[in-house]
Amino acid sequence: MVKPILEIKNLSAKVADKEIIKNMNLTINAGEVHALMGPNGAGKSTLSYVLTGKPGYEITGGEILFNGLDLLKMKPEERACAGIFLSMQYPVAIPGVATNNFLKHAVNAKRKYDGLPELDAAEFLKLLRTVAKDLDIGAEMLKREINVGFSGGEKKRMEILQMSLLQPKLAILDEADSGLDIDALKIVADGVNKWHNNDNALLIITHHQDLLSRIQPDVVHIYADGHIIKSGDKNLAVELEKSGYKTFVDAKE
Amino acid sequence: MKLTEQNITLWGDDIPWLAGLREKGLRAFAASGLPTAKTEAWKYSFGAVGNTENLRIDTTPHECNGHCHQQEEKPVSAYCIDFCNGKLHGEHFDLPRGVSVKPLVETIYDGDIKPYLNKSFAMEKFPFAALNTAYLEQGIMLVVERDIALDKPIVIRYHQHNSQNLFCNIRNVIVLEAKAKAEIIEYVDIDEDTCLHNVVNEIFLAADSTLKHYKLQKEGKARCVSLNSVQQRSNSNYKCFVKHNECALARHESYINMLQEGAYAEVNGVYQLVNNGVSDITTNILHLAPHTTSNQLVKGVIDGKAKGVFQGQIHIAPDAQQTEGHQLHRALLLSDEGEVDCKPELEIFADDVKCSHGATCGDLDKEQLFYMQSRGICLENARRILIEAYLQEVLNKIDNSEVAGWLADNMKNF
Ligand SMILES: Nc1ncnc2c1ncn2[C@@H]1O[C@H](COP(=O)(O)OP(=O)(O)OP(=O)(O)O)[C@@H](O)[C@H]1O
Ligand SMILES: [Mg+2]
Repeated sequence: MVKPILEIKNLSAKVADKEIIKNMNLTINAGEVHALMGPNGAGKSTLSYVLTGKPGYEITGGEILFNGLDLLKMKPEERACAGIFLSMQYPVAIPGVATNNFLKHAVNAKRKYDGLPELDAAEFLKLLRTVAKDLDIGAEMLKREINVGFSGGEKKRMEILQMSLLQPKLAILDEADSGLDIDALKIVADGVNKWHNNDNALLIITHHQDLLSRIQPDVVHIYADGHIIKSGDKNLAVELEKSGYKTFVDAKE
Repeated sequence: MKLTEQNITLWGDDIPWLAGLREKGLRAFAASGLPTAKTEAWKYSFGAVGNTENLRIDTTPHECNGHCHQQEEKPVSAYCIDFCNGKLHGEHFDLPRGVSVKPLVETIYDGDIKPYLNKSFAMEKFPFAALNTAYLEQGIMLVVERDIALDKPIVIRYHQHNSQNLFCNIRNVIVLEAKAKAEIIEYVDIDEDTCLHNVVNEIFLAADSTLKHYKLQKEGKARCVSLNSVQQRSNSNYKCFVKHNECALARHESYINMLQEGAYAEVNGVYQLVNNGVSDITTNILHLAPHTTSNQLVKGVIDGKAKGVFQGQIHIAPDAQQTEGHQLHRALLLSDEGEVDCKPELEIFADDVKCSHGATCGDLDKEQLFYMQSRGICLENARRILIEAYLQEVLNKIDNSEVAGWLADNMKNF
């Protein structure tokens, strides 16, 4: 049975008075992996922020349902607790906040939302260690201030670590592959595949084939000028890699 | 009743030198008057001094039979000295060898205080210190003898209860002899808005001595001003940490004279005012000898209609070569009605010096807040975590972990 996790219907959104998302439609069902590819500045990250509720984005039309909930009415933290996770293109550094502390706050916020007792320091550390080990993240890094001075690749692995800890229903990976070396790409892909199952869904925003060859997408969308202009199977990504966006964008005009 | 017309008799009025000193204090205050907008050192906070019309000095002996602060537990394991309603509570302090604390009056009669009293500042510049001199009586003289290192901090607590319109003047003279080491915690626990609490600490640090001076202003409605006048001899260390919580006026003024080579001074501070009130941290550090160093880091958080003031003066005398003076003030201003005033002043008369000053004032970072929210942390907690992190940098400067923990527990929840 097909169960939609995310339904974007006729969505339009503005940022700084500029219309970026224009009448967009997309449905992602449980168990699916969708890839969203498109030229720089097309509005992919904007979409990810609209989905996660970042302030400063004005919704000018349409609606978004997340597991049947009216997403646009929810606060960012409610969306996160309800199961939306965004691995950010540019993760934010927070000086003065130790990574493990930050993660504990996040995990316990979600547990509280789910009506579960909060984890104490020891319980949390145990959980963190197992998850971090899979992603080859050492204890040293977990003691550092979150994302402060982290390399590009380290930041991306830290995002996936958070995904693994929070076990979302929908993960949006915004260029999770950028800045990753070959080994790290494999580690990240393995981490994502380990989490992915028939109850959750994935939206991968990427410019490259590499991650998609490790996390097989069910659908590939070409996104340009604020909406999806073409969708296809995984071969569309391969085709894109060869021909570039131009043919598709031109064909549409 | 006017501040200068209290019509009271104090202990020691029969001692000519003391009577003369009090008289001088009164005259100095009469000349300057209460601070106004024109008083440079008070231009941001003079208004918070408020009404002084009804203030009175209480000369009756302190008789509380120990009830005045029974509820208070010690904040950290420490030697405790208590003041209740401006009066020294008890006269016997269980102190280790080489450390003495005497009531100020006693040292006035035996003359021990004479080489120190009013020797570290000029009253003309400090109106409240002038008043403090005019009404000199309460206070202590603390001496840590040569080579003695105190094993525990000394806590000086100021309490107040059932007191209306009280004008408390307390003078503490703190002397660290050569190579002595001590930690002093001042804990101001006063919640009476009709009272004015006026402390002057005169601190004399002999060669190679080290004093760590902490001050916590507890949340309340009080008006509390203080002058901390420090004289430093060669290679002495003075490290001060101030924590102001919300109250009508909390002013901590440091006046630090580095008289000899190798002296080191540090003033760090944190203030957190959520609704109302004024925090004023004012420093004046005088590098009067070569190879002297000072560092200041003050961070604050202002919300509601509160006001945070930082005035930092660094003076480097002509022959104070190879000195360093650094200063940084940063504030989070979380509301439109709040106010943060920062006035750095550098007067540099030597050429071989390293000096810096900086000031920032801003809101919480929106990207950081959203990042935390996007991980499920509610906005309220995200703000609290960011504020704690912001202030932690200053708390990290405290090397006594017990004190650091205690001060961290006294952080305000936003
Ligand atoms: N706060 C803002 N103010 C003004 N313009 C903005 C703002 N945020 C985004 N934009 C603009 O919106 C457009 C879409 O940006 P977005 O980051 O969503 O693109 P993208 O598809 O993710 O691109 P890339 O592949 O380079 O990451 C860009 O033209 C960008 O400059
Ligand atoms: Mg982007």
